[in-house]
Amino acid sequence: MDLSQYAELFLAESREHLSACNQLLLEWERNPAALEPVGGLFRAVHTIKGMAATMGYGRVADLAHRMENLLDHLRRGGRTPSDEIIQLLFRATDALEKSVMLAVTGHEREADLSVLEAIDDAALQFRPAAQPSALARLRPEPEPAAEPPSAPQVPAGRSPAGRTRTVHVTIRPEAPLKGGRAMLVVKKAERFGAVHRLQPPSAAFESDDFDGRLEFDLETAAVPGDIENALRAVGDVERVVVGTVALDEGLVTTGEIPVTGPAVAASSVARSRHIRVDLRRLDTLMDLIGELVTERGRLNELAARWLGHGGDPEIDEVAIQISRLSADLQNEIIQARMTPVWQVFDRFPRLVRDVARQLDKQVVFRVEGKEIELDREILDELGDPLVHLLRNAVDHGIEPPAERKRHKKNPEGEIVLAAVRERSSVAISISDDGRGIDRVKILDKAKREGVVGPHVESLSDDQLLRVLARPGFSTAESVTSVSGRGVGIDVAMTRIRALGGSVEIRTQPGKGTAFVLRLPVTLAIVRALIAAVGQERYALPLTYVAETVEYGTTPTTTMEGRDAIVLRDRVVPLVDLRKLLGTDGAAASPPPPPPPRRPVIVLEMGERRAGVIVDGMLSQQEIVVKGFDAPQGTLPVFSGATIMGDGVPALILDAAGLV
Amino acid sequence: MSHTVLVCDDAIFMRTMITDILAQAGFEVVGEAETGTQAVEKYRQLKPDLVTMDIVMPDMGGIDAVREIVKQDPDAKILMCSAMGQQALVVEAIQAGAKDFVVKPFQPSRVLEAVQRVLG
Repeated sequence: MDLSQYAELFLAESREHLSACNQLLLEWERNPAALEPVGGLFRAVHTIKGMAATMGYGRVADLAHRMENLLDHLRRGGRTPSDEIIQLLFRATDALEKSVMLAVTGHEREADLSVLEAIDDAALQFRPAAQPSALARLRPEPEPAAEPPSAPQVPAGRSPAGRTRTVHVTIRPEAPLKGGRAMLVVKKAERFGAVHRLQPPSAAFESDDFDGRLEFDLETAAVPGDIENALRAVGDVERVVVGTVALDEGLVTTGEIPVTGPAVAASSVARSRHIRVDLRRLDTLMDLIGELVTERGRLNELAARWLGHGGDPEIDEVAIQISRLSADLQNEIIQARMTPVWQVFDRFPRLVRDVARQLDKQVVFRVEGKEIELDREILDELGDPLVHLLRNAVDHGIEPPAERKRHKKNPEGEIVLAAVRERSSVAISISDDGRGIDRVKILDKAKREGVVGPHVESLSDDQLLRVLARPGFSTAESVTSVSGRGVGIDVAMTRIRALGGSVEIRTQPGKGTAFVLRLPVTLAIVRALIAAVGQERYALPLTYVAETVEYGTTPTTTMEGRDAIVLRDRVVPLVDLRKLLGTDGAAASPPPPPPPRRPVIVLEMGERRAGVIVDGMLSQQEIVVKGFDAPQGTLPVFSGATIMGDGVPALILDAAGLV
Repeated sequence: MSHTVLVCDDAIFMRTMITDILAQAGFEVVGEAETGTQAVEKYRQLKPDLVTMDIVMPDMGGIDAVREIVKQDPDAKILMCSAMGQQALVVEAIQAGAKDFVVKPFQPSRVLEAVQRVLG
């Protein structure tokens, strides 16, 4: 059997269980008296053991087995584990994770199993006194093994049905779990009549010491041949001897009957409700759908043109039908790519705990909205930024316990990672109840470094974020191994922006800090407003378009030296795309002069707004976002490109770069 | 007509492997369950010809699920999937009404033999 096809599944599922182990250990560490974590840990490790053994990963299975052994002892002992034991289990979980990774890449021999000794020592130390089978304790209520339910006891020799026969059965020595096999033999025999004088008693079948030999008296009218055949059919049976003990007859032995192998089921077409699909296939499919959507746009344009020239109206019907079908198709694929955020979030409790321990901080970490879904590609990219922000929260946000006490705060700080679905985006917030960001300190530093003018008196949240997000900007008084090297927020922000998302910050001195990341639900296809500037077309994702107004119909003013309009008492700074993009005069053929009435597209991102002046608005349509490697010197206002229905590319404007 | 099977195991890996082994031999896997409770529920709905049952599952374990299913249908054909070292649990499962067992790591031929015995 080719096992390699199961390697990915093994890895994926082992990761889930390892992640569960980490979660449970964290829970146990917080509440060592709790009884649930050890049961869950046991199950997770047990499952990994079974899978690894099936894959032939001996070292992984061995490590898991010994962990399982220790966990079983802990569970049965019911004692509150010491911190040392929990730390050992963390180390063991790490070792298990590493060996799983090595095993699937064919380097299992390199696994570092030095933790085994400590595991075995601990297992010995915690070995409980009583000795029923280890796994027997998994039963909700351990109960003594009952004798097999047998037919009403009929005294030997008084059966009206027939006679009593002594049956000897030997299970194959190489058979696994001989006791189970023996139990099946007894059950099968009971179909023929009552079983008496079972030797050894069935309780002995539960022991691993059972050698596979059993005998019993069977009270039956059936002929020995039938009994033998039936008992051999139990499987893994080496020998069956059915004797006859008539009331006072001697033992008569019949011959042995060879065991023949059973036939394998005839094959027929099999059906299953689930299939596994390689993620790359899904990506390719998404690309193809993207191209289909582009072609659909072309078809629509062609149909409209042909109709205008007296073409067959049926083409319009076909175009509409194809539009509908491709929209459905696209929707299905997008759904198939959606992944719940827990797949990334689940490793964070361990991370936060490790960082907090390292820094001697006390932190309660909560995760909310684990089930919220995002496009897999976005989710994959989100991990690192979140790691940065969480480390920052522990390092810079949460105060040391003594300081928190001084400020009459709970010595245990709290960090919450929450995902919330908004209209067409997902908001992910990282909030702490720590000391907040010291605006005065940041402002001083920003002035010293010339980030803001010397006359600025206070920083708004937005300005604060812009200062913090400058590459290399750090106010950490000392560089720790955790954060404070000036990388972090800028890296996180760049990533989030590249995904078409935005970052907001809210902070209050003494109360805490929250970062809110807003991300599109899916990357690949977005609805956009197509605007014309000069001879070019640009796409603006609708997610960030708040409204459009006509330039000149609203009062104008200036804001920090920039033109602005006043919209319902709010000043909205303006960006003239003609000027920004250098459309005026730069091209070989002179661009058409700006139309007299130019629309302003108002973009909104969190609390920030900006008005973009364009020449005209052409349409609203779905565009397929293509990756975009901006050449050096390109304005940082494009987030990607798309191919329009007529095959001409258009650039996608990055709202975050404009507001 | 092929026999229908309900596969109960909390690990997708194991469910997939059992499903593959059975499907290749022409069985029709009509349902999967991740917990004992689900197994009992799906048995009621699907009335499969055969059930493969893991012993260690969250919520309700395999042995209790066997008891519940046999209570509903004394003729239920249940094949236990056990690991080495689970002797006592296997014995208990058989007493509860399981018809046979296989031991992990699975060998397809042994799984199919056991299935034939149970269905035979």
